[in-house]
Amino acid sequence: MRTHYRLGIDAGGTFTDFVLADKSGNIKIYKTPSTPDDPTKAIEDGLKIISEDLEINPSDIISQSDLCINGTTVGLNALIQHKGSPVGLICTEGHEDSIEIRLGHKEDGYRYDPDYPPAVMLSPRFLRKGIRERILSNGKVKISINEDDVREACKIFVDEGVSSIAISFIWSILNPSHEIIAEKIVREMMPNAFITVGSRLYPQIREYTRTSTAVTNAYLSPTLKSYVSAINEYFISLGGENNVRYFQSNGGLATGEVMTDRSVYAINSGPASAPIAGLSIANPFKYKNVITVDMGGTSFDITLTKGGSTNLNKNVDFLRYRIGVPMIQVETLGAGGGSIGWIDEMGLLQVGPQSAGANPGPACYSKGGEKPTVSDANLVLGYLNPDGLIGGKLPLNYENAFNSIEKNIAKPLGIEVEKAAYGIFTIVNSNMVNGIRRVTVERGYDPRDFVLVAGGGATGAHITALAKEMGIDTVIVSKLSSGLCAYGQIISDVKYNYMATIPTRLDSIKAAEKINKTFKEIESKGIEHLNKDGFEEKKINTYRSLEMRYVGQIHECTVNIDFFEITEETLQNIKEAFHNRHEELYTYSEKDSPVELVNIESTIYGRIDRPNYSELENKGQINDALKISRNLIFSEKGNALKTPVYDGNKLSPGNLIDGPAVVEEDTTTLVIENGWFLELHKSGTYIIKRKKPIS
Amino acid sequence: MMKVDPITLSVVRGILETTQREMTLSLEKTSRSSVLNLARDYSTSLFNATPEMILQGQDIPIHLGSLMPAMKAVANFFSGEIHEGDLILHNDPAYNGSHILDMCIYKPVFFEGKHVFWTVCKGHLTDVGGPVPASYNPEATEIFAEGLRVPPIKLWEKGKQRDDILNMILTNMRARRNQEGDFKALIGACQLGEKNLINLINKYGLEKVNLCIDELLSMADKHMRTLIKKIPNGEYTGTATLEDAGHGLGDLDITANLTIKEDSCEIEISSPPQVPYFINSYEGNSYSGVYLGLMMFAQLPPPYNEGLYRCVNVNMGPKGTLCNAETPAPHVNCTTTPMETLTDAVRLAFEKAAPDKVSASWGHSNGCNITGFDTRNNEEYVTMVLATLISGAGATPTQDGWHACGPECCMGALASGDVELIEYSYPIILHRYSLVTDSGGAGKFRGGSGTCWEVEPLDQPMTFIMFGEGRKYPSLGSAGAFSTLLENKVGRVEIKRNGKVDVIKKNIIETILPGQRVANINPGGGGFGNPLERPLEKVIMDVKNGLVSKNGAKEDYGVIFSDQDSN
Repeated sequence: MRTHYRLGIDAGGTFTDFVLADKSGNIKIYKTPSTPDDPTKAIEDGLKIISEDLEINPSDIISQSDLCINGTTVGLNALIQHKGSPVGLICTEGHEDSIEIRLGHKEDGYRYDPDYPPAVMLSPRFLRKGIRERILSNGKVKISINEDDVREACKIFVDEGVSSIAISFIWSILNPSHEIIAEKIVREMMPNAFITVGSRLYPQIREYTRTSTAVTNAYLSPTLKSYVSAINEYFISLGGENNVRYFQSNGGLATGEVMTDRSVYAINSGPASAPIAGLSIANPFKYKNVITVDMGGTSFDITLTKGGSTNLNKNVDFLRYRIGVPMIQVETLGAGGGSIGWIDEMGLLQVGPQSAGANPGPACYSKGGEKPTVSDANLVLGYLNPDGLIGGKLPLNYENAFNSIEKNIAKPLGIEVEKAAYGIFTIVNSNMVNGIRRVTVERGYDPRDFVLVAGGGATGAHITALAKEMGIDTVIVSKLSSGLCAYGQIISDVKYNYMATIPTRLDSIKAAEKINKTFKEIESKGIEHLNKDGFEEKKINTYRSLEMRYVGQIHECTVNIDFFEITEETLQNIKEAFHNRHEELYTYSEKDSPVELVNIESTIYGRIDRPNYSELENKGQINDALKISRNLIFSEKGNALKTPVYDGNKLSPGNLIDGPAVVEEDTTTLVIENGWFLELHKSGTYIIKRKKPIS
Repeated sequence: MMKVDPITLSVVRGILETTQREMTLSLEKTSRSSVLNLARDYSTSLFNATPEMILQGQDIPIHLGSLMPAMKAVANFFSGEIHEGDLILHNDPAYNGSHILDMCIYKPVFFEGKHVFWTVCKGHLTDVGGPVPASYNPEATEIFAEGLRVPPIKLWEKGKQRDDILNMILTNMRARRNQEGDFKALIGACQLGEKNLINLINKYGLEKVNLCIDELLSMADKHMRTLIKKIPNGEYTGTATLEDAGHGLGDLDITANLTIKEDSCEIEISSPPQVPYFINSYEGNSYSGVYLGLMMFAQLPPPYNEGLYRCVNVNMGPKGTLCNAETPAPHVNCTTTPMETLTDAVRLAFEKAAPDKVSASWGHSNGCNITGFDTRNNEEYVTMVLATLISGAGATPTQDGWHACGPECCMGALASGDVELIEYSYPIILHRYSLVTDSGGAGKFRGGSGTCWEVEPLDQPMTFIMFGEGRKYPSLGSAGAFSTLLENKVGRVEIKRNGKVDVIKKNIIETILPGQRVANINPGGGGFGNPLERPLEKVIMDVKNGLVSKNGAKEDYGVIFSDQDSN
């Protein structure tokens, strides 16, 4: 029976995490070093560890799993290292340079530093071919497509050995006929090429965004294709069949076929599952407003979910490439345990984004790293166990940490080492707080309305400090927290996005009819797709959103709505929701100004049953869990405070611990500051609360 | 010794940066005209009560230099009369405004009844009245013929909006609905900044915040002094030429005399008498040009504040000159012309003082405004086309210049806007927006390419109003860079009617009919270093990519392709 297990595999930058859930509700986490050059190798290594632990053959695990889900960084790595396939671009004549002009500016405003380089072109200028054709802003053809131009372009692509083609014409969203003709010609002339068609991948207004998204998709397709083939083959060899799924940056699962076609959805695959995990972990406590923070070795990832719906990004620069398709908004900062403290040109202390990574690692790892990192600071502050992490498997050297901070930070600033360590801790926290503002305040949300869910091995030491800074009263940390994303993947649904552009002023009955009809059209495509994936009607859910603005504005504001018929009456409610959202975001609304709709989107889910859960057992008295007392530093003054340290494995559900205290789990350490208390819940989750809530 | 701990200092700086960033984002998302929401021709910044600029946003350099003297003039005007809930509006160059299209909102921030900060937003509105739509009037001989001047006035008084004043101002503008929305966006951004600053004070206390800010200002000061101290004491002169782009008065020279004295410097500008043409720069605007030239030498990474300029003494020359104009000099073109020539003069003086350290000049602005009637919604339209200003960036001591990133006065902050959004907003067909072959200045590091913007009106006549320069002299190179093939390294306008092409290099106003086309071509950036030292493989790649023609490779880089024929 293929229902005994569900396996989640999240390949991160440093480690690959495995989560295995069984039918009776046991969920276990395993870790193995990532192998970016051969992704199946890490999976093989991980399965070996699991099979030794559970004494079962890898093939028994795979063949008895209903789903094997892969979160992957292959797309991300190909984009970071520019190792995708150069793209031949077929576009409207006169607009070949759109992706190089990049709207004519530096993404982060003016700056005078002479070394800041332009972005690397995924389709170099000699591979961008303009075609004589033109569709106008009303969808009418001004110049018919010159098919010979397309053939000429293909000849050049063949000569240059190009295998990936993007086709993107101006206003193709209102009239795709030219793109369809071009696609047919390319298919004839280059039968083996990967082809991405702009209006199909991202059917929304903004030529630059659409072309850039199409080019990025084409750039990644061959890489994703070979990755998906290798993974599929590997699983089939172990008795898997149709049970392999991939995690997308929109926060849902997809089949391998879809992942190859829509490779751009793979670029932030791993971290995008954090919101689902966060919601699930917060569920026993009935919280629906959740910010997840995930601090690993090199980075800090933040997501936000309000009322069960997660912040999305559309039309943003991702690794300097403009991407249109919706992705879970994951704000990533260079702030991890390995982030390096340094003193800038102005003489100010900074932390990150440079990281010592896992190799050479922080100074305290004694693997040749000499630079002071966040982990070194945490060790000097007493937050980390000087005997080492992961039950002593990763030894730490206090002296190396101390010396490194002294030499690089304390002496140049003329302060004591403890103060310098606390400075590193404070600044990395401050960077993280500014990052959290980007998903909250900048999106019109008040962080005090949320609970903080911690993920990743390094977050625990910072979590109460962060919550304090943000004014958040409640923090939730699961025993599974170091594998948060892999856990999120095994409880996710299949998810596809369908979009359309219908520029319409919202003041007539016709508008309502048109919107209703278009929603139904795009949704029928999604339902058809999910039927093919084997979902029955009752397992399919649809969510809708509309992007609107005041007439004359250029940037839209997104409103999520429930599934209902769009009529003149319900349209009034939608407009009202838009006014409110505008006010939340920008301090004002204009109820008398005309509103126009630009884009609509339907998200179609194929629901998958979630694994069972088992409850935590009683372990005995709380005093048995008390290990030792350690000196911890909690303020910029640098004085130490004797603080009790508990073994998390020996705590029982219902146990209460007052801060200041430390709780050590196998893969994470929780630091509870004064003014907070912790309780272990029977779901295997710690809930940490402020003693005197702010509001 | 520091007065505040270095940790709090770093944190406060981060919060100030976040505050400014959030103001900028809000402005981009809410504004109505494409000049703001697509092109980002706006700036936000924060001042303390002194008032000194404590954070200069990474917006438009031409706005930000002049904001410092402008803020002082505004604060001085209302000295003793600034109350909680006030909101001040101003655009007048006689009070150090940049040009009258740049409307500026100043919001005093109060804490426990005390005036502690200012949040400031400046945005280029599409029209401020006057005889010519978009308020760029090349025929104006006086500022009175350009548009509405607003000296510092209170738009809100003690929390109450003065609707009569706002109505009077909007009554004087074209496309009123757009302008009104843009005022709201500017005010909204100032309010957002205010909210964040109050939170900052609540967290650390006013005294500590002010100590941090003083420290940040003095650290910037120290940093600039360290850079200047590396230059040998002495006097250095840079002279740049402003071409005659239509006034008929001939080319005009602007000179910057730089005197280095230990860790400080004096910059003295001399320029010819002001002219009866819209290229005069009042003192406030000229500060932007001088500071920009200075920063092309200093080349510091962000963030920036007013402390950087403490050791720099500027003398704009006598009143009544091109770079220190006085009423009634017409001025609307000043944010680009003569500002970019002034920047070049200062940059050149620094290049003499510190050879091989200074980046090359960027392409100057030569652009257009368009206006006409939109039959799709039966409204008049008018806009500056910022895409037409996007020129090539100058090469730096370490890399080629960015393509399509200029003009010099904006240093990469201005955006062109998406072609579909532009065609959706205005009744035009954008036939071409591309890089121009052979436009980047030759050098060991090549200047970035300029752009060509070619348009046809959709179904009604369109008025095309030109401004700027950069059509006669190419962008200045640095460290021995020079170009031989000059034709495409300067800008021009081409009007295509009935198979005939007219090349125009002077600022004129033309009517373009449906079926006719007009192309605005922008210059590339200057190169850095000897072009003969450019590695061969880079020249070959440029030719393959069509950035340099085979003829260009031969003329500019001395590289001859064996298959070269007559091209």
